[in-house]
Amino acid sequence: MIKSRRNFLAASLALPAVASATRSEEPQQSPAPARPQNPVKAFSTPQFQYRTLGKTGLKVTSLGFGCMITSDGSVIERAADSGITYFDTARSYGNGNNERMVGAALKRKRKDLVLSTKTEGRTKEEALAQLDTSLKELGTDFVDIWYLHGKTVPADVNDGLIEAQQIAKKAGKIRFAGVSTHSGQKELIPWMTTNPNVDVILTQYNFSMEPFMNEVIEKAAKAGKGVVAMKVMAGGTRRAQPGNPTFEKLKRDGAMLAALKWVLKNPNVGTTIPSMTDMDQLEENLRAGNAAFSPTDEKTLAMHLDRITPSYCRMCGECEGQCRQGLPVADVLRFLTYADGYGQFSLGRERFLGMEEKHTNVRCDSCPGCTVQCPYGVRVAERLIKAQDLFAC
Amino acid sequence: MLKTVVGIGLFASLFTGVMAAANPTCSLVPGWIPQGEARSYLADNLFEYMDGNAEGYLLYGFQNMHGVTCTRDGVQLIVDVSEFSDSDSAYGMFSANRDLRQPMTKIGMGGQIVPRKAIFVKGQFFVEVAADTEGDHSATLKAWCAALEKLQPGSTEVPGALSWFPVAGQQSLRLVPESVLGIRLLKRGYVGQYETGKAFVVTEESPATAAAVMQKLRDRFGGNTKVELGDEGFQATDQYLGRVCIARKGQYLIGYGNVPDGQDAVKLTTALLNAVK
Repeated sequence: MIKSRRNFLAASLALPAVASATRSEEPQQSPAPARPQNPVKAFSTPQFQYRTLGKTGLKVTSLGFGCMITSDGSVIERAADSGITYFDTARSYGNGNNERMVGAALKRKRKDLVLSTKTEGRTKEEALAQLDTSLKELGTDFVDIWYLHGKTVPADVNDGLIEAQQIAKKAGKIRFAGVSTHSGQKELIPWMTTNPNVDVILTQYNFSMEPFMNEVIEKAAKAGKGVVAMKVMAGGTRRAQPGNPTFEKLKRDGAMLAALKWVLKNPNVGTTIPSMTDMDQLEENLRAGNAAFSPTDEKTLAMHLDRITPSYCRMCGECEGQCRQGLPVADVLRFLTYADGYGQFSLGRERFLGMEEKHTNVRCDSCPGCTVQCPYGVRVAERLIKAQDLFAC
Repeated sequence: MLKTVVGIGLFASLFTGVMAAANPTCSLVPGWIPQGEARSYLADNLFEYMDGNAEGYLLYGFQNMHGVTCTRDGVQLIVDVSEFSDSDSAYGMFSANRDLRQPMTKIGMGGQIVPRKAIFVKGQFFVEVAADTEGDHSATLKAWCAALEKLQPGSTEVPGALSWFPVAGQQSLRLVPESVLGIRLLKRGYVGQYETGKAFVVTEESPATAAAVMQKLRDRFGGNTKVELGDEGFQATDQYLGRVCIARKGQYLIGYGNVPDGQDAVKLTTALLNAVK
């Protein structure tokens, strides 16, 4: 049982050797650019790891491509020419505009690729109608994996949606059924692992997440589910942007590529879908995809964790019910982050004062000792006192 | 000390309150009643509301969102107002999300109403109203957009850069928030899609920084040919961007990519360059 985040990082150091021994396979396709190379900015020929997505038998490159925020199809086209074989989009991205761009960019190589999209439809009818639109926009007769988008609890994956996926399979519109999830993995992934209707699990997975993730992913892979990792870069669910000091720091330290390598070394992950907006990022990721996770990468990620640990609440819920005064600890920490992390003092105060009076009246500095222990080392009492000092007046 | 900090914070909140939009409420349109609590999100927790789509907002400089769900006669409306860092970014969000095949509607800086969804942008606010049930809700959505437009502060003038792009043959025109044409050097700019290629204008901080980017672009596009255009220019051929022409006019980088055979990339770029004020 992995107890801490640092152990979570360290425990997975043993994985690269396993990964290369059990999952790497000879490339099934070789990049063969049909057009002349750019005379200056030619890519070095990347060597890919190929992995199989569980019982689907789909062989994909361990480095895939999340197309959501890509704004120019040329990057996607180039990625396909470079040898990446897995591309992911969704009906809702850009209100459908993303699927259109992806379809156009991949048209030339569609038959050689694994293409996935997602539906946010809440009923069978809605989902199937969305699938037809997706196929039209993508310019294809079928998608390889069709995900139910952004599910959090098993109840979200209702019978109607499962039926829609089965109908679509029989009609040849999809090859495999998947579910994507950004949160609630502790309950949802084990549920999907035992659900015979789910072929592929697309989940948020990165080094800053809770230790149980390795366990649930391993069990899913052993049960024959294809596991696709998203949001693999540092920052978890937040996206630091170029120009942002955090982004620059992460990039300078190599933490973003280290984060990608960290995910890729897990043999239970079939492929990853980092977002890529430009050719430079594509090339960096191709390099990272080929490099082994090193002790230097581990140190970089550990340093990054140390930097964010004292104040960064991950909303894991572990502190729920721990406060002897009954404070909703995670909420109060979030309100403080509004103020000191995002400069939104008024919103933080408004939300703080919106709590029940019995909570706004609590003063942690008069408590004999804090009963809340954050598993990630957030200095909870210190942060709560700061929130009360700032807002409760 | 603490009082000083709090004082500064309160002052800041009062100041921003002057600039901020009023939050949407169900009473904006008669007959609608709230369903559940009003909601608000920042960049750090938007994913809780729209997992899987939040990054699309963050990409455009999302600041916060205030929303409410309203119901009337069995119809449920989801109303969300998102604030972006500036009006250009808000317009960028709108242009990235509008259905290019559907007509625009004159609401704020621009809007679009389809049977179950309406979006519009005004100033730095991007507004979305979605009907939760099947059917054509256009009339309802139109009434809501009218009420919400009055509620939001900000300009109704579209970004000036849009007027630089030729209207004839324009298939789309949008703000690309980073990596125009998939090139990191071209940080942020407008891109127009035409049958004659992709037209773009990137605004740099100064003529000097624009000149520095031009030099790097020349290095990137090997085998380029100098053209007499603006302050400096070149054309080149790229495996993925096809025929490319890029010129600099002061702090602006202006050009075309993917220009098909039979079209003159330099001529097209010249026309765009002349339109940039």
